[in-house]
Amino acid sequence: MKELTQLKKVVSHPYAYIRKYKKQTGKKVVGYCCSYAPEEIIWAAGALPVRLFGTNENIHLADTHLQSYCCSLVRGILEEALDKRLDFVDGIIFPHTCDSFQRLSDIWRLNIPEQFHLDVVLPVKLDTPSAKKYMAAILEKCRKDLGKALGKDITQAMLARSVKTYNKIRSLAGKLYELRCANPQIISGTDFHAVIKAAMIMDRDQYLKILTQIVKQLQKAKPRKTRDEAKRLVLSGSVCTHPDIYGIIEDAGGVVVWDDLCTGYRYFEGQMNEKIAPLKAITARYLKRVICPAKHMELRGRGENLIRLVKQSKAQGVVFLLLKFCDPHAFDYPYLKEMLEAEKIPFMLLDMEAELPPVGQLQTRFETFIQIL
Amino acid sequence: MLTAGIDIGSITAKAAIVEDGKILGTKVIFTGYNAEAAGKSVYEDVLRENALYKSAIKKIVSTGYGRNSVKFADKTFTEIMCHAAGAYHLDKKVRSIIDIGGQDSKAIILDGDGKVKNFVMNDKCAAGTGRFLEVMARALEVDLDEFGAISLKSKKPSKISSLCTVFAESEVISLIAKGEKRQDIIAGIHESIAARVASMSARLGLSEPVMITGGVARNSGVVKALEKKLSMKIEVSPYAQVNGAIGAAFLAASL
Repeated sequence: MKELTQLKKVVSHPYAYIRKYKKQTGKKVVGYCCSYAPEEIIWAAGALPVRLFGTNENIHLADTHLQSYCCSLVRGILEEALDKRLDFVDGIIFPHTCDSFQRLSDIWRLNIPEQFHLDVVLPVKLDTPSAKKYMAAILEKCRKDLGKALGKDITQAMLARSVKTYNKIRSLAGKLYELRCANPQIISGTDFHAVIKAAMIMDRDQYLKILTQIVKQLQKAKPRKTRDEAKRLVLSGSVCTHPDIYGIIEDAGGVVVWDDLCTGYRYFEGQMNEKIAPLKAITARYLKRVICPAKHMELRGRGENLIRLVKQSKAQGVVFLLLKFCDPHAFDYPYLKEMLEAEKIPFMLLDMEAELPPVGQLQTRFETFIQIL
Repeated sequence: MLTAGIDIGSITAKAAIVEDGKILGTKVIFTGYNAEAAGKSVYEDVLRENALYKSAIKKIVSTGYGRNSVKFADKTFTEIMCHAAGAYHLDKKVRSIIDIGGQDSKAIILDGDGKVKNFVMNDKCAAGTGRFLEVMARALEVDLDEFGAISLKSKKPSKISSLCTVFAESEVISLIAKGEKRQDIIAGIHESIAARVASMSARLGLSEPVMITGGVARNSGVVKALEKKLSMKIEVSPYAQVNGAIGAAFLAASL
């Protein structure tokens, strides 16, 4: 599939793509690190929102600023910035989530003055009436600040167009998840991961076109008769930037059929109401979406969502991918574990950093987990 | 029916032959650089020593890190599955297994039928493994096989606080320089491994009876320190190092 090849090229060399894109279009690039960054507003302003995933190579510059108990994601992103590898970024936007990202925001503001810097101080509790008002106000402020930084007035019409584009992308991505869940053979895990990741990097209009083609072709694809006995798994956690994990799971006799990752389904879920004021619709989605553990909604919301995903996708087990030193996720793990145990859903925990544990060990763990399912 | 199990570990390669639930023979050699060659030669050795032809062996299961390089195996299982099968065949009552091998340690929980219910593994760190002991044996100039017996003489184990093998080695060297007794240092090393393995196992929740397997199970000092840390009695597998290979041979019989 030539569309897939195109996306894989973008994902394997994202910075080359972005540099070329900037040159060709003259558009500004706004970096972000978290799925609470209101990228609908960035895209509405005519800038390209690009998610930063960091690096696992030779972290040394970041270590002079960060303590050793910061997660590898934060260190990796800072390393790239300090090493001037992100010089194509015109500005950066930090929504308020976990402590490490708050500190990263401060370090960024003080050390990378050539980029504009925006904090979006979101509420922590999302289910109170005051939070709703506050969220709306803070996103309105974000619209104004971002407009000022980019030298543009971000109008209702611009926002409405962006909302439409995002709604289409998200609903197609949801379809892609459903197709793969029903027939995991139609697209390999590694390719699937590339399609998902490209959504956070590419020109969104261009991506929408390609995604439409991919979904159309996959709808026609006949599943090959293999891996019928593959054990169906759900990935749970924060970010997964390791396409290798999908392959290792498939080699071990499993297949990933769904996820609740920040760089996965959680990024896509939730449609915005196109009949109301666009900023209101954007606000409503961020308030309703299944939360990141750095936020608060209902006490057991994440657990209930995970169990629902497992049941809907007919999965046989859950693999937790937790970044080392990620407190919010680590604090949620015990209660998620208890809820899964109560439902008799088997699970395994993979504590990881930007760098994966040695492949041999990973294989042993996945194979054993899959063999005992 | 005769079946064979081959366990290619990071340091040693093991083979076992079983016949109708009985262990006929086992063999251990160093894995060395070439896992595939090690698998072949340990298999040939065990056959020769037990006066068997290849054609007598009906099924072969390979396990361990090098399991996929044993091309003549009928099936592979992970070492976790094989240690569970090996321990269960030796003692049907066993509910938990602690396996300390050359490059990792594991805790495994079994159900009443010997099936693996849950497991944990240490990750990317040599602390709490056989390699840790090897490094320390070199620093102390003591043969690793004597570690257990020497440590049991200690009345006051030294404190080794570092979890990192490299840092712990320099800690040991400064203890030597301070003139601490060899037996105390060794006992301290065993306590450090025990603490590491115990905290990992505690996450899983061990239930008794507990059996210890893997090469390090041969070290009575580590076993004693672990019993103290866990406040549990630990049964030592008589086939510590070859338990995985035996388990593989038993699993081969049920293919």
